[in-house]
This record gives sequence, structure tokens and C-alpha cells, in this order.
Amino acid sequence: MNKSNNIGKSITKATFVSTIAFSFMFSPVGLVNADGHGVYGPFPITEKSYNGSKKNSVSYGGQIARQLQHNALKKLASKGNPGDPTNAPEKKMLKYFNTKDKAKTLAIIDPSTSSSKFPVKQKMIGELSGGANLSGKADKRIQTSWPGNMSGVDVIKFMIKKAGKTKGGVDTRNGMNYPQLISKYTMGAVLYHQACDNYLDEKMTASSKPNNKPYKKGAYYTGKEHSWDEAFGYWGAAAHTMKLTAAQSYDIAKKKDLKAADYNNDGVVDLKTEMTYAHAYYASSYDKKGKTNYLKTVTKAFIDGRKLITSADGNKLSKAQLDKIQDYVQIICSNWEDVIAESVFKYAGSVYKDLGKIEKALDSGSGMDAAMSKYLKHWGELKGFAMALQAGPDNKSDTFNRLNRMMGFGPLMPNLSQVVGIDSSGNYIKDQGSSIGYYKLHMLKIQKLLVEKYALKAKVNDATGGMAALIEKVGTKKSAEND
Amino acid sequence: MEFLTQIIDTIYENFFDPKKRVFVGYLLSAILISFLWLCIVKKKNLAECFHKIFDKNIFFSKSAKADYFLFIINIIILMFLSPVLITQLAIATVVFEYLHSQTLLMPINSDSHYQFLIPYFFTITYFVLDDLTKFITHALMHKIPVLWEIHKTHHSARTLTPITIFRTHPLEGVIFVIRSALTQGVVIALFYYIYGDNITFITVLGANLMSFWFHLLGSNLRHSHIWINYWNWLEKIFISPAQHQIHHSIKKEHHNKNFGVTFAIWDYVFGTLCTSKDNEVRKFGIAENEHKYEHNILYLYISPFIGIYKIISKYILSRFQNTNKKTFIIKN
Repeated sequence: MNKSNNIGKSITKATFVSTIAFSFMFSPVGLVNADGHGVYGPFPITEKSYNGSKKNSVSYGGQIARQLQHNALKKLASKGNPGDPTNAPEKKMLKYFNTKDKAKTLAIIDPSTSSSKFPVKQKMIGELSGGANLSGKADKRIQTSWPGNMSGVDVIKFMIKKAGKTKGGVDTRNGMNYPQLISKYTMGAVLYHQACDNYLDEKMTASSKPNNKPYKKGAYYTGKEHSWDEAFGYWGAAAHTMKLTAAQSYDIAKKKDLKAADYNNDGVVDLKTEMTYAHAYYASSYDKKGKTNYLKTVTKAFIDGRKLITSADGNKLSKAQLDKIQDYVQIICSNWEDVIAESVFKYAGSVYKDLGKIEKALDSGSGMDAAMSKYLKHWGELKGFAMALQAGPDNKSDTFNRLNRMMGFGPLMPNLSQVVGIDSSGNYIKDQGSSIGYYKLHMLKIQKLLVEKYALKAKVNDATGGMAALIEKVGTKKSAEND
Repeated sequence: MEFLTQIIDTIYENFFDPKKRVFVGYLLSAILISFLWLCIVKKKNLAECFHKIFDKNIFFSKSAKADYFLFIINIIILMFLSPVLITQLAIATVVFEYLHSQTLLMPINSDSHYQFLIPYFFTITYFVLDDLTKFITHALMHKIPVLWEIHKTHHSARTLTPITIFRTHPLEGVIFVIRSALTQGVVIALFYYIYGDNITFITVLGANLMSFWFHLLGSNLRHSHIWINYWNWLEKIFISPAQHQIHHSIKKEHHNKNFGVTFAIWDYVFGTLCTSKDNEVRKFGIAENEHKYEHNILYLYISPFIGIYKIISKYILSRFQNTNKKTFIIKN
């Protein structure tokens, strides 16, 4: 009797365990936990002072709001109109730069909220966060990469002002493509700067934002949990990035792959957790070529770090845990820095090629407009990313000075003029620059400098890559032989 | 173990990479050409041809055995030296950067109907200039006493086989590596600057088109005992196997002749050409009488240093004596 009772109990236990296991395996949350958190969140509440009903301690809505404000700025920068006496374009850009959308009146511009091919869940910036703006988080240090001795935040405001008064945001006289300059520099001065020079820097020390206290009074997440989440939000990867290929992440940023984006299968893209932004997008663009793995390296380090913080269960992190966190920070920020450096490298190569096309246009007398348009776009990207690189925690002054000197404050124009400064009224001062040949040489040297100083692997648009390939093709291995 | 694998890989590569002179395909083509030559031109039967081509007195001579040892030992030595030698890319980068700072030579930006010819132009130019620098280096190896001491290792061969090309002192190997790096670096940088991405090498089985044909048409017979000569007029354009064998001849009148590798025109221009007409080679080597240790491996490696030491000491001594003589004259 006892024996049959025991068997019956065992069967009941087994059925119960199987049911739990099955329901876990086939629910979305179950899938996440089954592979040991391949997705950034949900993570349980560990903050001991919290008594509310929340089950997930992950929070980075403010950072995604800033990603969307950055996207909007880039779009608006191309709407500059010198004929508008009300300065409406500038005012609108400043709104996205300065405003905290508590009232939920700031519409999301990019991605489009009316697309049926790539429908998004949120319509207003305020739906993600009502307390986030870009200006409050932009780098406050003096920028030597831009004329006028301005702080990072003032540089962006200066660019916004200029973009608003320039047709289409592109100043063909001075060579400034403001949509690119604003976008790329904001990526560095706000997103990268905040993550690596703030949240993963000071806030990952023992004394700052401890894990045994809430991030702020009444918060459901600890100091360390939220600091880590914020940095992840600035990185811009979808929470389920580890489940995607680099090409899928790239296509999500391009709004081309709804199926890959919609991880919870609700038919819409949650802009907080299912979208790829800014730096993560650039990482995916290099990774999809197969030589690098920036996106997943950084995202995995974020997930592993968050797991470690969660495992402390709301207690102060030990010395060993803090050391391990520093290891993750090192992986994240060095790879992130390399992604930006890869972009500087890539666009130095583009500018080199564009200058060749400008020489061709000068020779033939045709095709200058098309050549200039590409040149100014690529130079804007080059300059913006070079400035972004300087927004990190390390002041590599020698490298930065050389970069700034070689690319200058403005692109070398076909008449060999180049912006060299700004006067007291904010007008550009120009001088005669070097020859196109010399400027091309500067692009080569920029690429060479980056290869020396950063661990670049993708090296897209390598200006001397073709030459290296030719030498490889000749393939004379060193051997002692007579002729 | 890894070291051993690397050696085996290098040996394998020499025989199975069509970019290499002793690639089996080129060796087979050299055998075929020899057969055809001996059968058709020299009217020999197949057995005679076979015995002539695969003469064991040649391939197992003391001289040939020394060649085989040098081939292996040099691979090991070059493995250590290679990392410190200047690369083609380093030279090409310096030249490429320099070209941006001058205005005499500018990139050609116009699209032309003849753009498809650029790779051929590049491939041929590279081959010709490579051949010219080989000629110059080779001539210098003979004319400059210190370099001759190094090059003598190669000329000490008494029998010639395709492997004799590896009977080379490592110092000479270093000189050739630098020559090759300089030529490739400069030519590639120059063309890449002018034509950009339009240039590429025309290759066959991965080897330069011109080198492929040069090797396929019997470059290995230069170092062989098969006397194949061309028409006299053709030997003023291309170096025949016989002409290179003349270069290895001990006869005084053959010394310092035929420095060219593919083209004879360099020798023709610089007055060092010797066609095969009315010339015959009796013996290969440096001197009539064989040196006791001339095929001793250690001697082959050390003798250039002894030779160079003697030259330098003699030079210093002569300078010293001259200075003393002058002092004596002034004093008196």
C-alpha cells in the first residue's frame, strides 16, 4: 500500500515538474531563461526596499528616448531653410535637443510611426521617457576638434543653428554637411560619452551607486543595476540581439526586417527593446561583412555583466564582483571605441576616393556636383565620428591632435580653401589649404594612424588595401634562390 | 613540431605552388622540352634521351648533393631572417605616400576605352622591370669584390640541376629579398597611384602571366646539363639555357657574361652578351682545379666571410701603408 502510494506521489511529482518545465520552455520568458539570458531582460527585482508589483528590474527608457531624439535631429537637420525668418527649422531641432517630453507632445520622427511595413509600438518620445533630453547629457568638456573652443553641448547647438539656416542642411560653400556632423557627433558626445565616461566609469566604482541601495529613492532597481541598464540603452542594441545575425540587426535598423525585430510576436516593434540604433547599427554593419564580431561581443558583455549584478541579489558587490564588472566594462568600451575608430577609418577611405573623383571632375569639367555631394557627406561622417571618438573616457591627446590636424576643421574644397576657424560672430574663417594630393595623403595617414592606435579588423575602404592585395597576389615568399 | 611543419610546408610549397620556379609542372615541362630537343634536334633515340636527361652522375654528384643540403638549410635560416627583412608593403606605402606630395606624376582619372589593357600593361611592365633589377643586381654581384665573395657560392657548382638555384649563400638571399621588395614596392605603388583600383596582375594558376610562361618554357633548363640554344638573333632578345650555362662556364672569355634572366637585351645594351654560337662549355665552376672543400656545407657558408675579411683587411692595410708612405715623404 505504502509502495503504491510512493509510486503515485512520484508520478504526480514528475507530472508537475514536466508541466512546469514544458510551460517554461514554450513561453517567451521560458525561452529567455532556458539559454541563460540570451536576451537583455527581464531580470528579477533585487532591490530590497521595493514593495511594489514590478517583476522586471530592467529600465533604460530614457536612453532609448535619447536614441530617438538623436534620430529626429538627423532628419530635421536636412530641413534647413535660409529663407525662413522665423527660424522654425532651428527651433524644431532645439526642441528635440533640449526638451524632456513629459507631456508626450514630441512625436517620434525616425522610425516612421505610420509605416505598415515596419509598424512601431510607440508614437511619442514621452512614451519611452518623460525625463530625457540630449542637451543635459552632452559632453561638457572643451572640444579641440572643432573651432571656437566650445564645449561639446555648445558645438552641437552651433551646428544646429548653422543647419537651420542652410538649405538642406548642407553648406556647399564651407563644405559642412550638418545632418552627418550633428548625427555622428551626437552619437559620441551623448551616447558613447554617457555610457563609457559616466555609467560604466564612475558609477561602476564601489562608492558610487551601490548595489545595496536603490538608484534613487523609491526606485525598483538598485544603483548598479540601473547604471548598467542605462549604458546598455546607449549602446543601442535590441534586447534579443544575441538571437539575431549581424545582418538581421542591421536590417532592423534599416526598418527592413519586421520578423527579426518583433521578438515577442505582437505584430509591432517595441522601440525600447526590439530596435537597433546608432552604435549597435554601425557595429552590425561591420560584423555582417564577417571579419568582426563587435555587436555580439559588446552585447554579451552587457548581458553577462547584468547577470552578475543581479546575482548579488540586492547586496553590495564584493571586490571580486567589482573586478569582474571592470573586465566587462573593458570589453564593452574598448570594442565600442574600436567600432567608432572603424567608422573614422572607413570614411577617411571614402573621402580619399571622393577626392579622386573631384580631381577627375576638375580634369573633365563635368560631374562636380555629384562628386561634391558625396564628398561632403563622407567628410561630415568622417569628422563627426572623429569628434565622437574623442568623447570617450581616455584622452589620447597625441592621437586626437594628429587626427584633428590632418582632417582640419573643414574639408579641403576644390578651390583649395578650407575652414580654419570661427570669428566672434560665428562665421567661418577660411584660408588656403594644401593641394588635393596632400589632403589625400592626410586621409592615408589618418588610416595608418588608426591602424597603429586601435585594434581595427574590418578596415572598410582601406585606401592602400588594393596595394596590399596586389603584393599578396605576387606572393614572393622570402627564400634564398638565384636566378 | 611546429617548426618542422613549417619547414615541410616551405619545401612542399616550392614544388607545388605555380608561383615557384621548381613547381612540378615547370619541372615536367622542362623534361618534356629536353626530350623534344634531344629527339628532334639532336636526333637521339628515346633511351639516349632518357640517359642524358636523368644522368645520375649529374643528379647524384657531390656538387648536386651540396645543392640539396643548402636548399634545406637555407629554408631554416631564412625562416629566422624573414621577420626582420623589409617588406614590399612597407616600401610600397612609403612610395605611395611620397607620390601624393609631388605634382610631376598625377593619377589618371579619365575613363578610357582601353582601360581593359591596364592590367596587361601593369603585368608586363612589372615583369620587365623585375627582370632589369635582377640583371643589375646580378651584375653587381659579379663586379663588386665583396659581393662576388658571396655570389661565388652559387658559381662553385660543378654540375647544374634545377635545384642549383638554391645553392645560394643566405647573405645573397637577403640581397635578393631586398631587391625584390624594392622592385615590387616601387612598381606596385607607382601603378596603384596612377591607375588606382584598375590595376591587377594577370595570372595563370596564381602566377604572374609572364613568369608562368617563362617557367613553362623551360626556365629550369638554365641550370641543367642540357645545352639548348636559340637562333642567334633570338639570343639577343631572350637568354637561352645555353647562354646561362655559358655564364657558369670556367672559361675566362665566358666570365662576366650573360647576367640576364629572361631578357638578353640588358646584356646586349651593356655589352655583356655572349650568344651560344661558336661557344661551348667544357666545365662549370669558378676555377679549373677543384678546391678540396668546395662542396663542403660548412665551407660554403663560411668561405664568403673569409673572402670578405681578406678583402677588407687588404684594403685597410693598403690605406695604412699609403698613409705611412705619405707621412714618410712629408717628413723627408
